[in-house]
Amino acid sequence: MNMTEDSDRRADGPRKLAGQNRIRLVATGFSIGFFAIALQLANLTILKGPSVEEDVLAQHQPRTPRPDIVDRNGVIIATDIAVASLYADPRKILDIDDAVESLTATIPDLDAKALRAKLTQPGRAFVWLKRQVSPEERDAVYNLGIPGVGYVNERKRVYPMGRLAAHAVGYVDVDSKGIAGIEKYLDDQGAIYTASLAGSDTQASSPAQISIDTRVQYALTDEVELAVSKFKAIAGGGIVLDITTGEIIALVSLPDFNPNQEDKNFSKRQANMMTSGVFELGSVIKAVTFAMAFDYGVTDLNGRYDARFPLVIGKASISDYHATRRVLTVPEIFINSSNIGAAKMALDVGIEGHQEFLRRVGFFDRLITEVPESAKPLLPKHWSKLATATVAFGHGFAVQPLQGISVIGGLINDGLMTAPTFLKRDVAEADVLAKRIVKPETSEKMRYLFRLNVTEGTAEKADVIGYRVGGKTGTAEKVVNGRYAKDKLLNSFIGAFPMDAPRYAIIVMLDEPKATPETYGFATSGWNAVPTAGKIIERIAPLLGVKPKFTAEDIEKLAKKAKATKKDG
Amino acid sequence: MHKFFNACLVLTVLVAAFFLYSLEHSTRGLERQITKQKADISDEREEIKVLGAEWSSLTRPDRLQKLARENLQLYTVTASQFVSESELAARVPAEPVILLNDKGDDPIGNILKEMQ
Repeated sequence: MNMTEDSDRRADGPRKLAGQNRIRLVATGFSIGFFAIALQLANLTILKGPSVEEDVLAQHQPRTPRPDIVDRNGVIIATDIAVASLYADPRKILDIDDAVESLTATIPDLDAKALRAKLTQPGRAFVWLKRQVSPEERDAVYNLGIPGVGYVNERKRVYPMGRLAAHAVGYVDVDSKGIAGIEKYLDDQGAIYTASLAGSDTQASSPAQISIDTRVQYALTDEVELAVSKFKAIAGGGIVLDITTGEIIALVSLPDFNPNQEDKNFSKRQANMMTSGVFELGSVIKAVTFAMAFDYGVTDLNGRYDARFPLVIGKASISDYHATRRVLTVPEIFINSSNIGAAKMALDVGIEGHQEFLRRVGFFDRLITEVPESAKPLLPKHWSKLATATVAFGHGFAVQPLQGISVIGGLINDGLMTAPTFLKRDVAEADVLAKRIVKPETSEKMRYLFRLNVTEGTAEKADVIGYRVGGKTGTAEKVVNGRYAKDKLLNSFIGAFPMDAPRYAIIVMLDEPKATPETYGFATSGWNAVPTAGKIIERIAPLLGVKPKFTAEDIEKLAKKAKATKKDG
Repeated sequence: MHKFFNACLVLTVLVAAFFLYSLEHSTRGLERQITKQKADISDEREEIKVLGAEWSSLTRPDRLQKLARENLQLYTVTASQFVSESELAARVPAEPVILLNDKGDDPIGNILKEMQ
């Protein structure tokens, strides 16, 4: 039917107008179409321009880039460098035996058996041959020209400082994922945070700056290591803390590890005992008891306590290590480290007040810093009168050493405690975070006691003349099979300097140090942890910019020392 | 008229095509150059990173301490070795180096001469 209609129209010559309209319609349609294409072309090519490089870069950066980690002075502690990783596509390898032979010949540490098993797996299109090879190995394998064997450029995390500050920095796995320490913290902040530090251009990254000072860190590590070997301790640790800002300047826990090593199956002993372990710090905790008694106004520096007889509570009896058997003044209790005196002070405050004070300084909560390894304090389950008496001198109460030094730092720092951090922090930021835990008057009394204990108490060997050191010793017996073992000690020293305007606090811990002939058979803190702290302070004070000051007494002491060394010489 | 117009158009097309081609050619050249330079920059940055890591590794405090102990006679600074600015005058040697210089005796110069 249509056919006939069309032919009818063609036959009607003069009726062309209808056809012309149709052509115009088609022409307009085509014009619009082409114009649209032209516009889009112009848009894609001229206005936006090509973006090939971005794609290329994206291919070369398969993983989230990691920022460098630098110390407080900008020294590189962790960085990414480019390495190659060898892979194979087993389907493309023509002669597997030949390939295995030439590969094992080129890279001797490849296991032929394992390699063959890998390459003969059915249906695999991708297997790693060896991750992170040297440029020489990469070129050698590339030159073998085996089809199906290739390499990709990867980034490898290296720690040029080696084991220095390893516990604070942590480490990553082979896929550059943070496993411990600050490295894990960076990952936990999310890929966006990590990438934002690394910057949009993956190469020009702004580093993550931590609060550690590598020089101080080394001095601390070196001296603690020497002490551990000298006193045959099974472990040791130390922290240097800036108490005005809460920055951790150095933190060491021995035995430590090298984050560069490939096998990262570290033993439990290599864990960071300064944050992930809790310890009964012993007499060091008496400082907290004293501050509590001063702050509640129970006693002051003129107070007296009877330490003639052991304190009996129920079936238990508390006695002194350095028994004095007389009535002691409050400063005497501190410098003689009298358990009886400290327990009596805590009992005067009362159980409620004691708990309230420990809660106020944060001993009831887990201390959380950027480093994920942290332990919760262990407190007595049933808080009886006896519990208060023993907690007063640090027994039956275990805490992270970092938390211990942070609280004692707060007691000395005019009563202002700032939460410790592993990241660099400025003073303004720290002032906002500072929390008042005791009155400034209490802090002043604490500073007096700390200094007194070094000038004439148990911590005399930490008196580095000129740097005004103050401190408290602790010798705690370790619990073995539920009993306190007399010969297994955990010694500690918490000190601060310069005592006239305290800025830095230091803790030194030695686990099971032994007596040596030099210490006349003593193994208590004053003979090992304290002199170690003294040596550390002598080394780090100039690095930290603490100016020495000398009183007339100091000069006398120095002259005496000089004479003594001359005689020895 | 039509012929001339068409010829003009053909010529324009040819000229435009040539111009466009040469423009594209030079653009491609520039793009290659940019890519290469970007790769060079990235290589240099990589090199800087490696050198930074190496520098950091070479200036490790334990390494420096070992080298200082072996090669220099230096000891840990004690507090009494620090002198305040006001006391400095008292510690200046009796015969300053400059006076020795005037007499023709230059201790640092002597060391340098010895080394040569």
